[in-house]
Amino acid sequence: MQENQHIIELKYLSKYYKGSNIPAIDNINLNIDKGEIYGLLGPNGAGKTTTISILCGLFGPTSGNVFIDGMEFQHSSEKIKSIIGVVPQEIALYPSLTAKENLTFFGHLYGLKGKHLKTRIDECLELFGLEKNANRRIKTFSGGMKRRINLIAGILHKPKIIYLDEPTVGIDVQSRTVILEHLKNINKEGTTIIYTSHYMEEAENFCSRVAIIDQGKILTEGKPKELIAGKEEYTDLESIFLNITGRALRDE
Amino acid sequence: MLRLLSSIYKELLVLIRDRAGLAILFIMPLVLILIMTVIQDATFKTVKEVNISMILVNNDKDSLGEAISDGLYASEFFQIVEEINGEKITEETAKELVAKGNYKIGIIIPERATDAIRGNVNALINKSFKSFNIPGVKKRTKKSTIDVTIYIDPAISNSFKNMVMSSLEEFTSQLEIEMFFRNFSEAMAQLMPDQKPIKFESFETIKYQEVYASTTEKEILPNSVQHNVPAWTMFAMFFIVLPLAGNIIKERDDGSAFRLKTMPGSFVTVMFSKIFVFLGVSFVQFILMLMVGVYIMPALGLPQLEIGPHKIALGVMALSSGLAATGYGVAIGTIATTHEQAATFGAVSIIIFAALGGIWVPVYVMPHTIKIISQFSPLHWGLNGFYDIFLRGGDLMVVLAEAGKLLIFFVIMLGIAIVYNNYNKTK
Repeated sequence: MQENQHIIELKYLSKYYKGSNIPAIDNINLNIDKGEIYGLLGPNGAGKTTTISILCGLFGPTSGNVFIDGMEFQHSSEKIKSIIGVVPQEIALYPSLTAKENLTFFGHLYGLKGKHLKTRIDECLELFGLEKNANRRIKTFSGGMKRRINLIAGILHKPKIIYLDEPTVGIDVQSRTVILEHLKNINKEGTTIIYTSHYMEEAENFCSRVAIIDQGKILTEGKPKELIAGKEEYTDLESIFLNITGRALRDE
Repeated sequence: MLRLLSSIYKELLVLIRDRAGLAILFIMPLVLILIMTVIQDATFKTVKEVNISMILVNNDKDSLGEAISDGLYASEFFQIVEEINGEKITEETAKELVAKGNYKIGIIIPERATDAIRGNVNALINKSFKSFNIPGVKKRTKKSTIDVTIYIDPAISNSFKNMVMSSLEEFTSQLEIEMFFRNFSEAMAQLMPDQKPIKFESFETIKYQEVYASTTEKEILPNSVQHNVPAWTMFAMFFIVLPLAGNIIKERDDGSAFRLKTMPGSFVTVMFSKIFVFLGVSFVQFILMLMVGVYIMPALGLPQLEIGPHKIALGVMALSSGLAATGYGVAIGTIATTHEQAATFGAVSIIIFAALGGIWVPVYVMPHTIKIISQFSPLHWGLNGFYDIFLRGGDLMVVLAEAGKLLIFFVIMLGIAIVYNNYNKTK
């Protein structure tokens, strides 16, 4: 185990999908410290999802190393998975099960059980304003409610690191506000958050640091305010984004 | 263990809440087994029970015509039609009616057919006498062939056609023997006028006793139910591949599989929970299908399914067949990328396995190459095992080899799914 304060370290990380000569990630080096809210920003096909997938252990890199809390997936996959929480962009829940049944199942998979699990589920449901809907099936939920339950399923076990893939996409302002507020509170308790989004304004206010990536490379990295102050023509994160990634339309 | 139990509970909840899916899982196999057994019951009935209509045009009006006519009427296998609206049927009409499919068979006995036989028999007697230097005593010794025309509906099954032909051959050969004996006796009487002529008596020196071989003391009578219930039970059990593969693909499509892969607990834990639940479903299906054989089929006029004394052997076969089917479902669900792929490949491959396994046509009548290929069909192993129990009275020791093959198939399928899943991680 490596002794350092970086909870995530990517060293010379590259990923080529089979049959492709173009790297999805091209020799990335990145350090994320404990307690950060780190934004991975980039246009479609920039390499965000590939990076998150490698950080979750879904598949390995073609070359380079990934250290999560000093551990590598090859040797400590189960340990790493127990300290991370993933909130995918899709509503990754069972529609025919109730909110409580979904959370109980995912809680059990994280090793939570008994009264502790029940208390934690009640606490999370209350925190996100869903306590009255605990016994309703997910398929009857609105988009915003589904997003909140999707989020709870990823943070139920109080992970050290949370990966959020577009957590606020397609929901109303109220749900977005609740989600971001609670994520900030969770972060204050010491949880590191890795976040991807297309909402630049949201990222600017939410993230402590951001990296703008395109074509598998990190184009710039830093605190949003420092990046904006870097050039006169930069007025906000969106202007930086457009300036360095261009205005050409991107496909996945 | 908690992860496995929780996964099993979740699978059960998902399954129970899909009411339509649940109905399909349990009702469709029962409908299938009922319909197939009722339909196939006809092929197991004796021809007497089927009673197929047949035209007889007897232009002979002598011994051969009588022998064939009497034989056909006496057999009760056929419904004989010689007249329509009070008019004798001619050969042309018979041909036309069979060609239209109104009648399955038309038999035309030509004029003077008996005379032709008589000539042949007399020629044979004279030849025999000559070999002992006795002059031929029989006149009318012209040798000729007799053409009994049989019009056959092309839609008729080969086995039925063969049965009719062998019946006709039996009637005519009996007539030939009788005629030979009678004429021989008459010839002897001419040579030795003092001797009393020998009277021909038909007698049977060989009797055939049918005993269905069984390893138990009790003889199990093969019938449509004993054949079809195990066969279609195997077939229906394998169709669990479709909902199971669909369940895996749906989990992948709705993102749950993505979340599960990022959580502690391996792919194997998740898959085992599915195997456990769907194995339970296939076992319940199996019991329901047996109950249909025991309780519902007799109410429909079919024979009752005899389960026999070897319940443990039956349980082992049911579980190993269920495991083979679920293992196959897991492999297809893991490899297929869409519902369409899984449903098409799954269904067609099961039908191929079933055809090779002898569900429709027995393996022993298949061409040599197909026979060899059929040895690799899990439905063949399962069907053999169930036939061992239901038809041959086999016990656990008898079915262990087949159950073992099904279990090995399950392990191989699961291995393929695990290897493919790991391969995907390296993409």
